[in-house]
Parts: sequence; structure tokens; C-alpha cells
Amino acid sequence: MTGDLDRPNIDQVDSPELDLVVEAYKSGVDKTLILENLRLTPQQRVEKLIALHQFDDELRNAIAGRSRGG
Amino acid sequence: MTDFKALFTCFADSGIDVIVIGGVAARAHGSARFTEDLDVVYLRTPENIRRMVRALDSHSPYLRGAPPGLPFRWDERTITRGLNFTLITDLGAIDLIGEVTGGGHYEDLIEHTVSAELFGHSYRCLDLDWLIRVKRAAGRPKDLEALAELEVIRDAKMPHPPTAGEFAK
Repeated sequence: MTGDLDRPNIDQVDSPELDLVVEAYKSGVDKTLILENLRLTPQQRVEKLIALHQFDDELRNAIAGRSRGG
Repeated sequence: MTDFKALFTCFADSGIDVIVIGGVAARAHGSARFTEDLDVVYLRTPENIRRMVRALDSHSPYLRGAPPGLPFRWDERTITRGLNFTLITDLGAIDLIGEVTGGGHYEDLIEHTVSAELFGHSYRCLDLDWLIRVKRAAGRPKDLEALAELEVIRDAKMPHPPTAGEFAK
């Protein structure tokens, strides 16, 4: 692949070089999570994201509280 | 924390025309990836910009990552003279995009959207093929894993007879 990946490049839409990189990354995709999500409605999928955000928030608060408390 | 439900409701209640793209659109298509912000392409008509300014005005929009105290004015003039805005609000992080690389403007994208029912309202989400297209055009290293996942989702949704070990649709 040529060029700076941090710069948008419309030529990359049909880039065979990019195809190769994406194919390599596909092996790392957890297909079981996708399968699980595809059984849900779009709203349920977004609600899972919201739940993750709430968990993330609680986790950060817990760590911050622990740091303050020693 | 970004309050996605509140942001979606804010857009719907104010009648703002947007197309959901980015991580939340990917999520609606089945992605399992985490995202921090809501990315939308907005219609750049004076009326839509007016609605957007009114709707977000009470949520303290400010340029995300910018030092405090900059003379940023959230008004119609600012939106009209600018294009893409990366904002933090008291509802969370939102990217208001006037033109997206590889996709264009709202009018270019609207025919490549699907309807999604979220929180009692119907929203336009960029369809999977075009979500992949704009991710490819962005071509950032951080997008490569997300791009791979989107292509796996597209493969999983393809209508063909399932074989042993393949995804159920």
C-alpha cells in the first residue's frame, strides 16, 4: 500500500493492496460475537453498546475511587 | 460517557435530518466493537442547520480536544461557514459531518441508507456496503480491524445456503 494511511484517499475504495490487509485482519474477527449480534434487532445492538458505556463509566469511577482512597 | 439515547432522541424530537455513520451505524449492522462517539452526516439546508443549532444549544457544544476558552460560537453562521465539526456536548461526543470522504454529502448518501428503529423513532443509517466504502476511503490504520469486521458481517448476511460452521442469518 502506498501513501500516508492517515490521509483520506478515495483511491483506496478499490485498492487490491487494501484488500490484502483487510483479509489478513479478518482472521482476527470474533465471528461468534457477530453471530450473536445478528440475532438481535438494531435497537438491541445499540442498547448493548449503551450498556457497555455504562459499565465503562462504572469501571472508571471505581478505579478513580480506589486511587483516591489509596 | 456519550448518552446515545438522549442524542438520538434530541435529533428526532427536533426534526433534524441526519444519517448515522461510523461506529454506531456499524453497531446497528451487527458490529461488536466499542465506540465512544456518535457520527452523523447532516443535511446542510438552512432549516436543518437552524434546527441543529437550536437542539444542541442547551447542551453546551464545544470543539472536542480544543483548549477551553476559544472563541467558538455555536450558531448558524459557524455551521454554515464550516463543514465537519468534532464536538463534545453534555450529552457526550458527537461528530457532525457535512461531507464524508468516499461518500459525499447527505444528498449523495441518502439513497444508500437503511431505516433503523431506535428508541421509538426511525433513523437513517448508512447501509453496510457504503459504510464499508467510506471506511475504505478513510483508510486509517485504526479503521482496518473495523473494516475487516464489517466485511465479515457482509459475508454473514449474504443470501446463500448455509453450510456447516457458517453463521445463521
